[in-house]
Amino acid sequence: MSDPIRRLSEELARDPSSLVFLQLGEALRRSGQLDLAYKVAVRGLERHAHNADAHDLLARIYVDRDELQSAFDEWDMVLRLAPAHVGARKGMGYILFKQGKLGAAEEQLSTAASQDNGDPSITTALRMVRRLLRYAPNRDNGATALGPAELAAAQLRVEEEARLLFADILRDGEHTAMLLNTDGMVTAGVYLTSDGRDVAQEVGAQLSGVRDEAARVVRHLDLGAWKAIVYETDVATVALGPALDDSLVLVAAARSIPLGFVRRVLERCVQRATAWLGEVG
Amino acid sequence: MTSPFEELLASLIRHRGVLGCMVVGESDGIIVDANVQVGIQANLVAALAAALYRKARLSSEAAGLTSVNFLQLEAERGQICAAGRDGLVIVTVAEPRAQIGLIRGAMLQSVEALA
Repeated sequence: MSDPIRRLSEELARDPSSLVFLQLGEALRRSGQLDLAYKVAVRGLERHAHNADAHDLLARIYVDRDELQSAFDEWDMVLRLAPAHVGARKGMGYILFKQGKLGAAEEQLSTAASQDNGDPSITTALRMVRRLLRYAPNRDNGATALGPAELAAAQLRVEEEARLLFADILRDGEHTAMLLNTDGMVTAGVYLTSDGRDVAQEVGAQLSGVRDEAARVVRHLDLGAWKAIVYETDVATVALGPALDDSLVLVAAARSIPLGFVRRVLERCVQRATAWLGEVG
Repeated sequence: MTSPFEELLASLIRHRGVLGCMVVGESDGIIVDANVQVGIQANLVAALAAALYRKARLSSEAAGLTSVNFLQLEAERGQICAAGRDGLVIVTVAEPRAQIGLIRGAMLQSVEALA
C-alpha cells in the first residue's frame, strides 16, 4: 500500500463520516485497485448519499471497470444533485460517444464546453464528435445510435481528413506538417521519414515542449504573443507557429529548402489549421 | 582584462535593430560576456534564451533531427536569436524591424569563434 493511500485509509478509519473517502477512492482508482475503490465509494455513499462528487467518483470507477451504463446512471444522478457539474457532462458525452449516440454526445459536450470553455479536453472531444457527425449516417439530427461498424467507418474518414489536412499545401515537397494539441498530441497531418514511416506522435511529443519554453520567454520579457519559432539543425529546418486554442503547427523541411519558403509554408499551414479547428469549434 | 568575445559581440550589436547580444553558458544560463543597450535585462534574457535553446536542442536530438545550429523566436514586440556550440550560446535580442537574415549570417559566422 502506498504512503498516501495508507495515510488516507488511516484518516478514514479514525473518522468514518469524513469526506476523505473521496480522495482515498480516487487514489485507489488511479492505482488500478478498482475493487477496493468501488467498496470505498459505495460505503462513502451510504453516509453521503446526496454528495455529487461521491457519485462522480463511483461513475469514474464504473468507467474503468467498463460498466458504461452504470457510469452513465451515476453521472445522471450527479446532474440531478449538481446541474452545473462539468465532469458529469463530459463523462456522459464520452459514454454516449462510445455508444455511437453522437447527437446526444454532442449535446452533453457542448453544454460542458459552455460551462467550462477553458478545458481543452472538452473542446477536443467536442470537435471530434462534430466531425464524426458530418460523416455519420442519419447526420441530420444524430438521434439514432450508430453501430460499431458505422462508427468505425466515420472515425476512419475523420482520421483521413485530419491526415490530409496540409497535403495540398505541401504537395510532394521535402517537407511535412502537423498540428499538435495543447498536450503535444498530433491532431492532424503526418511526419514521414525518408523511408515512409509516420513518426508524427514521437516527434510531436518531443518538440511541443519548445512551445512551453517559448511562452515562458515572451511572458517574462514582455514581448507580447509569440508568432513563430524557427530553428535549423544539420538535417532539417523546423518551424513552429501557434494556432487556435493553444494548438501548435509544426513544419519540418529538408535543409536544402530555403528558410523563407519554410516560413511561408508555416503561415499557410497555421491559417489552414485555424480554419479547420474553427469550423467545428 | 579583455574578453575573447568582445569583438564578436561588438560586430553583432552594430546590426540595425539589435538591442543586445551576449555569450551565455547553455547549461546554467549565466552570462560569459555581454554587450547590451540600457534597459535590457541581460541576466534574465540570458537565462531564458539559454533554456529555450537547450530545450530546442534536446528535443531536436530526441526527435532524431540532430543538434540545433540556429534558433529564432519571433514575438509581437521583439525577437530572440540563439546559436550555440560546445556548451556556449550566442544570444541576440532584436526589435521586430531587425533584419534577421543579416543577424543570422553574422551569428552563424560568430559561432565558430566559440570553439
